Parts: sequence; C-alpha cells; structure tokens
Amino acid sequence: MEDQIVRMICRVIVPFIQIYGMFIIIFGHLSPGGGFAGGAIAGASMVLFALSFNLQAGSKKISEESASLLESGGALVFVLAGVVALVLGANYLTNLEAGFPAGTPGRLFSAGVIPVITLGLGLKVTSSIVTLFYHLIGGEEEEH
Amino acid sequence: MMETIESLLHNYYYFIAVVLFVIGFHTMLTHSNLIKKVIAMNIMDTSVFLLFVTIGYVQGGRPPIMDAVTPPAGVDYINPLPSALILTGIIVAISVTAYALSLIVKIYKFYGTIDADEIAEIRGREE
Amino acid sequence: MPAIEHYPIIMVAGLLLLAFIMPLLYIWKRNWCEPVAIFAISVALVMSLCIIYEVVQGDAFEEGYWMGGWEHFGIEFKADYLSSYMLAVIHGVGLLILIYGIGDLKKELVEKVRGWYYTLYLLLMGAMSGMALTNDLFNLFVFMEIVAISACAIISIKEDRECLEASFKYLILSAMGTGCYLLSVAMIYMITGYMNLDMVGETMALGVGEYPLNILVAMSLMVVSFGVKSALFPLHVWLPDAHASAPSPSSAVLSGLVIKIYAVALVHILFRAFPMEILKEVPMTDIILWMSTLGIIFGSIFAMVQENFKKMLAYSSIAQIGYVFMGIGLFDPERPEETEALVGGLLHILNHAVMKSMLFMIAGIIIYSAGLKKIRDFDGIGNRLKWPMYIFIIGSASMVGIPITGGFMSKLHLAQGAIAVDMPFFVMVIIASSLLNAIYYMPIFINAFLSESKHENVTFKPVPGSMMIPVVILGGLVLLFGIYPAPVIGVLESAVESLIQ
Repeated sequence: MEDQIVRMICRVIVPFIQIYGMFIIIFGHLSPGGGFAGGAIAGASMVLFALSFNLQAGSKKISEESASLLESGGALVFVLAGVVALVLGANYLTNLEAGFPAGTPGRLFSAGVIPVITLGLGLKVTSSIVTLFYHLIGGEEEEH
Repeated sequence: MMETIESLLHNYYYFIAVVLFVIGFHTMLTHSNLIKKVIAMNIMDTSVFLLFVTIGYVQGGRPPIMDAVTPPAGVDYINPLPSALILTGIIVAISVTAYALSLIVKIYKFYGTIDADEIAEIRGREE
Repeated sequence: MPAIEHYPIIMVAGLLLLAFIMPLLYIWKRNWCEPVAIFAISVALVMSLCIIYEVVQGDAFEEGYWMGGWEHFGIEFKADYLSSYMLAVIHGVGLLILIYGIGDLKKELVEKVRGWYYTLYLLLMGAMSGMALTNDLFNLFVFMEIVAISACAIISIKEDRECLEASFKYLILSAMGTGCYLLSVAMIYMITGYMNLDMVGETMALGVGEYPLNILVAMSLMVVSFGVKSALFPLHVWLPDAHASAPSPSSAVLSGLVIKIYAVALVHILFRAFPMEILKEVPMTDIILWMSTLGIIFGSIFAMVQENFKKMLAYSSIAQIGYVFMGIGLFDPERPEETEALVGGLLHILNHAVMKSMLFMIAGIIIYSAGLKKIRDFDGIGNRLKWPMYIFIIGSASMVGIPITGGFMSKLHLAQGAIAVDMPFFVMVIIASSLLNAIYYMPIFINAFLSESKHENVTFKPVPGSMMIPVVILGGLVLLFGIYPAPVIGVLESAVESLIQ
C-alpha cells in the first residue's frame, strides 16, 4: 500500500515526534515524563515510519540487530550507573550521598545520576518498542 | 442493606475497579479465543491499576510536581507513589501482552486457528 | 572486593546485566556464551554461600540493604535465613542444570536461538534471586513477572506446537495469578500505606480490628495467586503440559526451582506481613493443608496413568509441591512453637529441587541417547544406559522416601510435625503417598534392568560427560542430604524461628 499523502505527512512529522520524545526523556527529572514515556514516544515514531513506508525502509533506518544492541546498551547504562555509586562507597543506585554533583534544582544539568539513568531507560524503551514491532510484523511477513 | 448501598455509592470507584477485575477474570478463563484472553488480561490489569491510582488520590489534591512557586498553605499533593508504581505496572503489562501476542502469531502458524477449543481438538486427534 | 553487604544487589544486578550482554556476545563471540553464563552462575553461587555463612555467623545482614540509600522509603533487600538458603539452592542446582544443558541444547534447539536461551536463563536466575531477597511487595511483583515471562519463554523457545500451546496456557494462568497478587497488594497498601514487608507487618497488626475484611480478602487473594503460580492442587492445570513439553534443561529448572520460589515468597508474606491473630481466626493454614493433601494424593494418582515419562515426572511435581505446602499448612497458629513441620516443608524445597531436576535430566539423557519418551519402551535400557539408571534408582528411592536419601529426611520431619500438632491423619497421608510413589517409580527401573531388552538394534548415542557429571553430582547430593542433613536443618530452624517472631 503506497499513499503519497501519508508518506509526505509522515516524513514531516516523524522528526518532530522524535524531538518531542527526546525532550521528554532528557527533561525526565524536571517535568512529568521520563524514560518510559519518552521512550514510548520516540519508539512510536519509528513504528509510524515503518508503517507508512514499509518494513524494509524502516529497518534501513534502524536494523533489528542495532536495535537489540541499543537495548543491551540501555540496560548497561542503567546497571553501570547504579554500580558507580557502589564503587564510590554507597549503596546501589545512591545519588547525592555517593557524591554526585547535584547542581541547582530546576536546572537541566543537575540531579546527579538521575538524568543518566533516565537516558539509559529511554534508550532501552525506544529500542524495545522498535524490536517488538519488528518481531511481531516479521512473524506476519514470513507467513505470506 | 441501605448502609451497604450507601457505602457502595460512596466508594463507587473501588466498586467499578472490582467489577472490571471480575469481567477480565471471567473472560480470561471462559472465552476460548486467544486474542480475547489477552484483551481480558489487559482489562484485569487495568482494573487493578485504576484501583491503585484511586487509592493515592487526595480530595482536591494537586499533581505532585515540584514547582518554582511554593504552593499556598493548605493545598495537598496527591500521593505520587501509587502512580509511580503503576507506571512500572503498565510497562510489565505491555511486555506480557507483547509476548502473548507473539506467541499467538506462532500458534496461528502451527495450528491455523486461534481458538483454544479447536487447538485442543487438533491435539486430541493427533494423540 | 566490595563489602559483603553489597553482595545481594551485585548478584541480582550482575545476573540481569549479563543476561542483556548475552545477545551482544552472541553476535560477536558466539562460543563465549556458555562459559560466560557458567562463570556468572558460579560467581553467584560463591556469593550466596558467602551470604549464607555471613547470615549464620556474622551480623552484616541484620540491617536491610536500602537501594539508593533511601532508608524507610525505598526498596529494601534483606538476606535472612530463608532467602539465603533459597539463594544457595537456586544457584547450586541452577549451575548444574546449566552445565547439563549445554550438551542437551545442542540437540534440542536450533542454532539461531541458542544464544537467547542463556539470556533467558540468566534472567530467570537473576529474577529468582531477586524474589528471594526483596523485602518490598511491589518489587516482588516486578521480579515475579520477569520470572513468569522468562519461564514461559524457555518453554516456547523450542518451537513446536506442543510447547507453544503449553507456554501460552502457562502465561495466561500466571497472568491471572499476577492479577490476584496485584489486587492483594492494592488492598494491603490501602490498609497500611506501606510496601515494605516489615512495616506492613507492624501496621497490619494495628489494623486487624478495624479492617478485618480487607485483610481477609488480601490474604485469600495472596494464597490463590501463589497457589496458581506454584501449582497447588486444584490450580495446577498448566503444569503438566508446560513441564513435560519443554526442553529437558527447562523442565529441570521449572520443576526444580521456579515453582518453589513462589512457595518461599508465600511463606515470607504469610508469616511476616499478616498478623498472627488473623491466622488464628481464619483457617487459612487448614485450607492450604487440605489443598496440599489432595495434591499429594491426586498428583500421584494422575502420575500413575501417564505413558510419557516426562509427563509422569511433571504430575509427580504436583504431588511433591504438596509436601512443601503441607509444611505451611501443618503450622498451627495456636501453637507457634511447634515448627517441625514447617522445617520439613522447607527442607523438601531443597530435596525436591535436587531430585526432581536430576530425574528430568535423566529423562533428557534417555531422550538424547535413545530417543525414547514412553515409559513402556524403557524395558531393558538399564544395560545400555547403566549410570543414568543407577542414579535413577537413587532418585526414585528419594521420591519414595527410603532412609539415607534426602526425601526421607523431609518426610520424617513432616510426619514428626504432624504428630506434634496432634494431626496423625497426615502421617497416614505421607505414608500412603510414599506407597503410591513406589507404585509408579519402582516398575520403571525394575523393568529397565530385569526385562528383556527390546533395543538390540537401536543405536544408543554416547552421552557426553558434561551431561553425565551434573547428574552424578546431584545423585551424590541426594545421598549427602539424606545422611547428613544437620547443617541445612540448623539453618532452617533459625529461619523458621525468625519468621514466627
């Protein structure tokens, strides 16, 4: 199914959705949102892209393999951010007491390790949604 | 009797959550269509999420977001903990749903049907 | 070296992390997957032995471990006697199953998915350790779901029609259990306002008079949910298909460990969160007792009529999990000092984990070597598969409960506990079930050794050592725990004592 209008609109709208998703991820520690919500939005943009074009075009942007690499990377960031606090001599995932610089409340670069964790989560959720979509669609494609 | 009805009306949100839970539970166990089972699973999870979120609500409360402006005295924040937990719960429900759907795709490939009774029939014929 | 109080979190986080790295390894260094997985679980085993030593000897774990340093607000990990015991069981048996699995999976799984198997396995191990350690109701829910998904996935990873259907059934019923659990947690949170088990316990004791109905509903939902997940008798319908159709290492880990961890979680919650007064008023332990009794009897009866060997073992698991719950059921809230039955039930977790995973491995070896699945085909295979069948004798002796095997010790404690609380009827149940077990286990090895062989012209594939050694070690462990169970019982007595307080 090829529809010029849908493709054109999608081409315009996808970057905005992605930027919105990234905004939600990065500002996760300041405003409502965070890794889960932002990751879902950013992942949805890729799903939208693959739906309006086709699976091949979608997987050219993010291949299945690189999506699962990103997924592992996101989990890695999360766990390592927790372990850094252990190395600094505090409990797992400790933020301020482990001596991370906290900055001032309300500023983007503050809150110690929390933005890093949110970023890792966002990465993981984005790539998970993309992989899930590819796998569900892929099972369908083999059929026909 | 009147007391029971009154307390039900007073706590109608708990009542609705439980009704949804029972609908989900019943559909999940009695319907043979696998997709319907998955939908029912989601209804059941959602009902519990609703119950959780209503527990955390405070009458006239504000969303628990730290603002530059300090709120006037006497304004309560709602309890953020249930909402935060339910966010995790939703993620878990999504992953279970995704896994169940992918299983259904595979089952359809092998059996050619997504009806539990027909699958049981096919398996019975094989043995 | 990090301090010992960090070990629990390092174990859980490390296993989950390695589970996610496993796909990467599979892309780059394909043949590193197995050694890394074995290394990870061996380290976890060493850590859990350190933890159990520290719990018994030292005092590093008397305080809980709060994530992120959020004392009294955050998630707490607490290594008490019961959870450290469970950790050692999980990682000890899990390591042996993994070593066995390397040989077996080469035959049972296609090349493409084998790397993912180790991902799922490590995920399962990490989440089970988390379930044993966590002291937070919602964290328990998250770990429970990880266990449920990865347990279903290690069944459905072998893509044939039986596995897929069994896995879906398991998924739906375990989702039902999860729903009940979450509703119960919502009720508890409504009454107490806490998620931490200790604080819930303290607050609930104050709220008994005010909200008896809520507590009652929460408790029954809790028992139903864990009953479904650990296949307590009328709720067991998913188990036989799931455990019988899965690849043999998956069957071993599911039957040996996964159903037990839910029983442990139930013990934790039932005795620590719910006040003793409510247990005295409501016959909850009696209900569990009768369900487990029916499970013991009917599980054995169903097992008798099975033709498929693995299915017989699966039904036998239903009977055996009944013993664990019988230990809980024989606990009398009126007489909390009589704890022998509870010790016996918890001891059976170890014994059954060891012997049932061993039996599933032997079933796997028979399928691997000769391709035989039906019990009636086993006549005369004792001469060809000597060692597996010798070990099978030990395993079935332990199932029946013959002295000097592990199964005898746990049944002995259960029987003594039943007499101590004046319920001699359940001693009869234990003896009857031993007889039933004997009826369906004994003929298998008698026929295997003494019957006319039907397999003169069947070629038996040689069994690799990596599959044989874990079975031999587990056989040795069955005998060890039958002859010298004192250290384990010591740990469990302290565990029960700290639970009852």
